[in-house]
Amino acid sequence: MALPNECFIEIFNNLRTDFKSLFSCLLVNRQWCRIIIPILWNEPTKYSKDRRLIKIYLSALNAEEQALLVPFNINFPNCPRPLFEYASYTKSVGFFLPAGVKNWLDVEGSRDSQLNKRIPVEAIKYALIKMFLRTSKNLKCLTLSGVINKAILESLYMKNTIIDLSLLHIYFDCNEIELLMKIISKSTKLDYLSLSYNQLGFKGMEAYRSIN
Amino acid sequence: MDNGTSNSASENETITLKSCDGIEFHIDARIANRYTLLNNWNGGESACIPNVNGKVLEKVLEWCEHHINDPQLNCGDDDSRRRNTIIEEWDENFLSCDQDMLFEIILAANYLEIKPLLDLGCKTVANMMKSKSPEEIRSAFNIDNDYTPEEEEQFRKENEWAEDY
Repeated sequence: MALPNECFIEIFNNLRTDFKSLFSCLLVNRQWCRIIIPILWNEPTKYSKDRRLIKIYLSALNAEEQALLVPFNINFPNCPRPLFEYASYTKSVGFFLPAGVKNWLDVEGSRDSQLNKRIPVEAIKYALIKMFLRTSKNLKCLTLSGVINKAILESLYMKNTIIDLSLLHIYFDCNEIELLMKIISKSTKLDYLSLSYNQLGFKGMEAYRSIN
Repeated sequence: MDNGTSNSASENETITLKSCDGIEFHIDARIANRYTLLNNWNGGESACIPNVNGKVLEKVLEWCEHHINDPQLNCGDDDSRRRNTIIEEWDENFLSCDQDMLFEIILAANYLEIKPLLDLGCKTVANMMKSKSPEEIRSAFNIDNDYTPEEEEQFRKENEWAEDY
């Protein structure tokens, strides 16, 4: 089938919501695989509840991100390094991530079945967000909730692709508020911002007022 | 919106196109003006269409003629082009040709930048791939598997989540 890649992109874009067919097509040959992976991994967000997806994302953590999870006695996926940097194609991250992480942890990720899962879930989510901010070339939509720190905000500051940002249930201290303000004023592409159920430290409030 | 007839060509005006193998076609000038069929026209008696042979050009022109009064879509709006997944009966019949011809039409539509025909061809091929196994697709399109067994297995594992959605 001698068609240029641009025609194959058109063909496979017609199947972009039919993941089952894309899956079959990517196993046809290497050329098709290279074209389909970016389409398939563009927006698997609503399937992030699937622990198999979380497993692949986890196997892409670098040494620094893995080190963050050492204290939590986690069984890292026992699989070879992925053939593609799948997370780099993902456009939207966050909303279903906690549910997926919890599913993965419940079934295969935790060495201690009695362990309270809340803290490891937050830690894994945090490591994954760091990985997405490091690898994603085209991150457009990001939802962050719970634990956040300076390192995440600094990575966010460097990302200028985001158009839709939601920050929920986060406690911001003074420095973080300052950084957040910098992010908001720097992000020229940002056209949707949701800040809900967040808490500001007392000093954070002062910083917020002084910036305004 | 431009309805495709607002250019200077009138209904009776004809233009001669010549395929790469020298076959001439006399067509309604509105077709030539609507698409970029005159890019290589040097003002002579006929406009040459390199890279497209007579057999394929005949099919492409047949499609253009049938769709001469279609409203022109905004080509930049990829989503609006893709949203319509239904293929009209005439178009379906038009593209129920052999596979080689279907790919030739896609190639020509891509080369001549006839976006609606390119979309239609791509949609048709995509429909042929739907709900088939990799092996069935390879055999339907006569494609060799160039994966090593280990590589294929790893790709299968890394993407198996997609099989359920």
